[in-house]
Amino acid sequence: MNPKQHADPGPAGPRPVGPPRWAAWLLSRWSHPDAREELQGDMLEMYAWWLQSLGKRAADRKYALTALRLMRPLARPKRATDYSETYSFSPAMIHNYFKIAFRNLLKSKTFSAINVFGLALGMACSLMIMLWIRDERAVDAFHTNKDQLYRIYMREYFSGKVQAVIWTPGPLAEELKKSVPEIEMTTPFSWTNQHTFSVGSKIHKQAANWASSDFFKMFSYKLLQGTAEGALRDRGNIAISRKMAGAFFGTPEAAIGKAIRFDNRKEMTVSAVFEDIGANSTLQFDCLMTWDAYVDDNGWAKDWGSTDPLTFFKLRKDADPAKVQAKMLHLLDKTNRDGGKPYKTQLAMQPFQEYYLNGNIKGDKMDGGRIEYVQLFTFVAVFILLIACINFMNLATARSARRAKEVGVRKVVGAMRSMLAGQFMGEALLIAGLSAVLAVLLVALLLPAFNSLTSKQMALPWSQPSFWGVIVGLLVATGLLAGSYPALFLSSLNPVRILKGALKFDSSSVWVRQGLVVFQFGLSVILIVGMIIIYRQVGFVQSKNLGFDRENLVYFPIEGELFNKFNLLKEQLTQIPGVKQVSHMTATPASNGNGTEGITWPGSDPNDQVRFTPVGIGYDFTKTMNLKMAGGRDFSKEFPTDSSGVLVNETAVKVMGLKEPVGREINWGRSKVRIVGVLKDFHFQSLHNAIRPLIAYLGAREPQGSVVIRIQAGKTPETLDAIERICRKLNPAVPFTYAFTDQEYARQYQSEQIVGKLAGYFAFLAIFISCLGLFGLATFTAEQRTREIGVRKVLGASVAGIVGLLSKDFLKLVLMAIVLASPVAWYIMKQWLQGFAYQIDIEWWMFALAGVVAVLIAVFTISFQSVKAAMMNPVRSLRSE
Amino acid sequence: MKRTFLGELEEVILLTVAVLAEEAYAVTVAQELDQKTGRAVGFSTVHTTLQRLEEKGYLSSEMGGATAERGGRRKRFFRVTAFGRKALRDVKEARETLWNAMSPQTLQLMGN
Repeated sequence: MNPKQHADPGPAGPRPVGPPRWAAWLLSRWSHPDAREELQGDMLEMYAWWLQSLGKRAADRKYALTALRLMRPLARPKRATDYSETYSFSPAMIHNYFKIAFRNLLKSKTFSAINVFGLALGMACSLMIMLWIRDERAVDAFHTNKDQLYRIYMREYFSGKVQAVIWTPGPLAEELKKSVPEIEMTTPFSWTNQHTFSVGSKIHKQAANWASSDFFKMFSYKLLQGTAEGALRDRGNIAISRKMAGAFFGTPEAAIGKAIRFDNRKEMTVSAVFEDIGANSTLQFDCLMTWDAYVDDNGWAKDWGSTDPLTFFKLRKDADPAKVQAKMLHLLDKTNRDGGKPYKTQLAMQPFQEYYLNGNIKGDKMDGGRIEYVQLFTFVAVFILLIACINFMNLATARSARRAKEVGVRKVVGAMRSMLAGQFMGEALLIAGLSAVLAVLLVALLLPAFNSLTSKQMALPWSQPSFWGVIVGLLVATGLLAGSYPALFLSSLNPVRILKGALKFDSSSVWVRQGLVVFQFGLSVILIVGMIIIYRQVGFVQSKNLGFDRENLVYFPIEGELFNKFNLLKEQLTQIPGVKQVSHMTATPASNGNGTEGITWPGSDPNDQVRFTPVGIGYDFTKTMNLKMAGGRDFSKEFPTDSSGVLVNETAVKVMGLKEPVGREINWGRSKVRIVGVLKDFHFQSLHNAIRPLIAYLGAREPQGSVVIRIQAGKTPETLDAIERICRKLNPAVPFTYAFTDQEYARQYQSEQIVGKLAGYFAFLAIFISCLGLFGLATFTAEQRTREIGVRKVLGASVAGIVGLLSKDFLKLVLMAIVLASPVAWYIMKQWLQGFAYQIDIEWWMFALAGVVAVLIAVFTISFQSVKAAMMNPVRSLRSE
Repeated sequence: MKRTFLGELEEVILLTVAVLAEEAYAVTVAQELDQKTGRAVGFSTVHTTLQRLEEKGYLSSEMGGATAERGGRRKRFFRVTAFGRKALRDVKEARETLWNAMSPQTLQLMGN
């Protein structure tokens, strides 16, 4: 308090004099808090009296002495003041708020249930999506050095275009460490492939890969045995997983130092055992061998022209990534990688942690991938929560007539607007709190199903404070969002108008409410359209005629002794009754992503290299695959010259611009090949990619890749058994593994299928929650118009007429939502379809179907209430008047 | 009979509050004491005693309305509670019993 205030003269004081300021200050600051107010006043009166009777000096002295005596610096207030200052958070008010809130909840059980259940569904949905996103983001986050880890990719510039490539030359890792001082450690990392390992009579296939000795120092894979330094020091070393150690040796301790046979040709020594790699790692492997060993087996990996492993590196802590990026840009210039070829290659880098979510190549950048689904589902989560919040807003404002009198009375006895807003906001938070509890229970219940749908192993992190933080955050956000509009609306009501007569909504609040319903149904329509299109596209992709028959087509890798025994294998396989055709091909029938730029033909542009997909095939390949010829003939044993012949597809003919392709000579690298036949286009990759030019050569002399077998429909199990028996006999050192082309093919659309299913569930949820809200609104309207309906019925209105009357207003809103949402849905789905080279057309009936579904569901929802209202006996509704 | 513990100063102040009736607050009590008894009782003593009496339940207090003088500050008015009145009566009775028990000679000696 300001001491100046106390300088005013006493009432009887002849002169404008006051007590000593410091003493007055002491009194105002340190006297007993319970008595502070009256003490100051009393002392002023006493001062005036002393002044009169004793004079100024004595009065000052007395005042000061008394003030000092009255100091109670340690006193705490004990006494509740008789007139407490009004503030909205006094215990009595809070008690009252809770009481009123609970009474309102219990008074209208339907509406409370709709609100709580709707919000709970919305929150559960968001929570589940958040768990999923958290899980996605946690991939590769366990590496201690994650902020210093990067991976290299290349940008190839050719004929004015840029293409990013993630595979890098084999020697790059070594070179990076030598020529860029900021780079501390590097490792190549090849394709992870299944290889055969054996110890004594134990034979297993394991996923193997190769890396440098830096690998375990860069990445934080936990070592159970061995050290990070020694794990991959020697070219005879192998680091194996706990599972692999268990399969061969029983325990990790028993495995260390033991020998293990690799592909039945090399003895490796176990130098380390690492903990099994979890699903939260992008790099997956059962065992690692040294890059040197890889180069020993694959001499071409020494060549700068090769494009094989991924390359990872770790920066020094103090290094500036931008500078490193600039330094490595032209690193490849001094190698002869691009020697003579018409394109240039530059290096670029991507933080290792972005690898998982941003794994797609878009032009010259690494961009997109799973991150797109993360974003998509983030939007969906927000949408659904929004729809649930809108329910709450609509019901709260529509039903505000019931609370209006309360608002009026509260305002008349002095409630301020902020207090009322706080009250209604608090009620929203209370309902959000109830919903949050329900939502957590729902999630706990549904998580196993969600896990199997997304093939993840997520669990609710009960013990993590951040989880509770998220829940509280979700609760508060929902409560504030849902409560904001009702709180502002209700607290703005004018008490005079409310208490004088019935509350009439002005047009703006009705408009807002209708707008919200339109918005809600618009979102639902978008989700329904999205679901229809995703379903259609995935179905289209799976049933599209690929140009070959993918049913009953089995394949398995050529490995071990099969390289040399293919003809024997074929001979024996063809004797199985269920086997129709046998052939072989490099790559697999489901996917062939190889590429070569070495094809030239008379008239080809040396500056515009076309990337062909090469494939080495065996005799009878076209018959096995059921491919159609567009011209020429298939490879045949009757033509020995076929070893220098090739088959091309129609796309290749088009690209080369050849009128009479059969019999023409073209160049492949330095050798000449002759086109003997033209294949009709078929899909050898997923439909995400367009059909590329294909060039097939006869690989019968050295069969590689896969054995492809056409089997008879209906005899699958016994045929497979017979095939397995033959393979075991011919190739005893390798376990038999096979795949069905149609299944493998479908697997390429796994994420689309999951997204399609999830979109279906979410669309259902969205429309369900919207309908909950619509149901509530319809109930409310029917209630409000009870008397009107009664009068109409007395005057002869039919039930159908009244149902129509009640439904019309809502249907208008739903129709408007469909009209507004359709273009948005069209745009969004058009974007999604861009990811496929072969797309379905978006047709009008999809929107019509979504619209009809929305309208039907809405009509169904409303009719519950409107029919009930229309059937009611008018005597009952009118009697109350 | 239950003994009432009431100090001498407490008794005087309690009596003063009773005398002042509706107008009893710390200032009037202090001035009344000064004028009627001539005792030099400091204001702080009066204030503290009033508070103590209230704590003991002999007095009740209530804030008055805001005043124009004394900087708009309210006054705390004190009133003797039923318990307080009983205490005063007890003290008085005890003294009267003693007075009445005095022999007439002694009374004469005291100037009565």
